[in-house]
Amino acid sequence: MAKIVAIAEHRNGKLTDATLELCKAAKELAGALGAEPAVAIMSKDDTLAKEVAKYIPLVLSVTNAALEGYTADGYTQAIKAVVETQDVKGVLVPHSYDGVDYAAKVAMAIGAGIVSNCNKAAVEGGSVVFTRNTYNGKIQEMKKVNTDKFVATFEKGAYDMEAAGGAGTVTAVSADIANVRTKSKGIIETMAGAVDISQAKIIVSGGRGCKDADKYKDVIVSLAQKLGGEYAASRPVVDSGWTDPARQVGQSGKTVAPDLYLAAGISGAIQHVAGMKGSKCIVAINKDPEAPIFNIATYGIVGDLFEVIPAMKEKL
Amino acid sequence: MKIAVCLKQVPDMESKFKILEDKKIDESQIAFKINDFDNYAVEAALQLKEKAGGEVVIVTCGPDRSAKDIRQAFAMGADWGIHVNDPAVEAGDNFVVASTLQKAIESIGGVELVLTGVQAEDDQAAVTGVMLADLMGWPHCTNVKKLEVNGTSLTVNRELEGGLNEVLEMSAPAVLTVQSGINEPRYPTLPGIMKAKKKRLDVKKAADIGASAAAKTDFIKMFFPVSEHKAEIIQGDAATAAAKLVEKLKNEAKVI
Ligand SMILES: Cc1cc2nc3c(=O)[nH]c(=O)nc-3n(C[C@H](O)[C@H](O)[C@H](O)COP(=O)(O)OP(=O)(O)OC[C@H]3O[C@@H](n4cnc5c(N)ncnc54)[C@H](O)[C@@H]3O)c2cc1C
Ligand SMILES: Nc1ncnc2c1ncn2[C@@H]1O[C@H](COP(=O)(O)O)[C@@H](O)[C@H]1O
Repeated sequence: MAKIVAIAEHRNGKLTDATLELCKAAKELAGALGAEPAVAIMSKDDTLAKEVAKYIPLVLSVTNAALEGYTADGYTQAIKAVVETQDVKGVLVPHSYDGVDYAAKVAMAIGAGIVSNCNKAAVEGGSVVFTRNTYNGKIQEMKKVNTDKFVATFEKGAYDMEAAGGAGTVTAVSADIANVRTKSKGIIETMAGAVDISQAKIIVSGGRGCKDADKYKDVIVSLAQKLGGEYAASRPVVDSGWTDPARQVGQSGKTVAPDLYLAAGISGAIQHVAGMKGSKCIVAINKDPEAPIFNIATYGIVGDLFEVIPAMKEKL
Repeated sequence: MKIAVCLKQVPDMESKFKILEDKKIDESQIAFKINDFDNYAVEAALQLKEKAGGEVVIVTCGPDRSAKDIRQAFAMGADWGIHVNDPAVEAGDNFVVASTLQKAIESIGGVELVLTGVQAEDDQAAVTGVMLADLMGWPHCTNVKKLEVNGTSLTVNRELEGGLNEVLEMSAPAVLTVQSGINEPRYPTLPGIMKAKKKRLDVKKAADIGASAAAKTDFIKMFFPVSEHKAEIIQGDAATAAAKLVEKLKNEAKVI
């Protein structure tokens, strides 16, 4: 039977949440297509293949010394071997750092169309229609492939995590892995800092809309202090050096879940939201009524943050 | 080192978007600019050239309006460029664009390093650079946060979740997708802007460079997202809204 295969992701010997989300996606899509759901896992041995078998009926396990760490060349060759030997129709990949690094290469290797960064997939008339964010989250689009096979990457949280329960079969798939052209020299921490904003109950966060370092300080830092909380920032603020990297919230920064997260001059890009959507109460202040941040906020003010925040301070 | 930088012109995301016939955005209300990530790629290329010599060539697929931002990269210091201006490429997908960029870069000759942005702000696909590398038969690294070049040896930091970086070694020729924050992109100077006007920009059709790929994906439609959790928008002028907000945070949400 044709298969829909989710690619397992693991770091430091543990499966990532995205892997369990894609188990759910594979089951849903396979069900709607009359196909069989499976997970393919690349590793140096079988340990994690047995673990992922709790979530999916079939695990295709590629073990090879060259798969001890992630490389685009290694993963692509391994996944290609799975696709070519296992009657695979669709490959589901997390839209994570590793996923983005190899998904398009896999699509090229198997001659498939790729739809990346999806948040939804539905089967209509026998083909899969993917929904994805565009224009920094302001517009969604629907796409499908016109090739026989497909590759799709899914943003984090697109599916709920599958719960453990089953006892799937693990089938070994062999792959020759040669000519890996990148060599990992190790992983380093780049955002260590004196502060740990992840413990704060109140966070006031500023984005590119704060205009410059001085204004960011005047408005964001001072409101945070007045509220007895921490100040934080979106990525462009850190990239521009207005504050230090330890205060960046999002996919490539910190994950926070305070009682109050006030986002001013932040548009609400998915990579930012990934780091703060668990906050209890989210306030958005943005002059653009269509900014995606309003789609996840509790309270919103459409206005100029340089007028709204000083007015707030007067009332505190 | 001869470096090609793939540059895409994208809408300013603060623009007011209007969708026409579920298919495309109304460009009449939109301001365009260089894709933010590509700006960092241009700067990275210019810094490499300043250190070790060579040439920086801008490669763009896009309509007439894109020329403005190719010239912007010229004003920053890029040497010359290729502008593939062809409706057939515009109607294609990421694969068509990657295939066209490949042919354009091959037509330059002697390119040893290709830099792209991590993703285009408009389509948010993050696939073009990886496809291009595969088409060229070159290795790649995505989300590059640091780059050192020593002859043909590259040492790169690949950004990972939560502030981690993986340090990688690889050899040119290669394709790197550049992440924001890798450097501080320069602003064009007045002399730079003057010089940019005279720099060479070759305008091509896909056929001129032998590009003819067909799309592997089909666009169906576009629409504005509908949120089930839309915020409660607090009305009034700044002072009124701020006062109401403080009130709600104290007494309704009870978080301050
Ligand atoms: C792999 C990857 C990882 C990433 N990781 C992160 C991450 O960890 N964290 C992160 O934040 N981003 C991350 N990003 C970047 C992300 O995609 C966005 O580019 C970024 O979040 C945008 O930041 P912003 O909202 O501050 O800026 P913009 O998107 O430019 O938004 C600025 C907002 O300010 C508003 N504004 C302007 N002036 C005013 C004013 N006077 N008053 C009120 N509002 C105003 C505008 O309407 C606009 O909505 C990542 C991107 C990639 C590709
Ligand atoms: N039309 C284009 N012209 C030139 N470069 C492009 C084009 N589309 C994408 N790119 C490059 O590919 C990167 C990733 O784009 P994408 O895969 O569309 O998210 C961009 O940052 C650009 O460097």
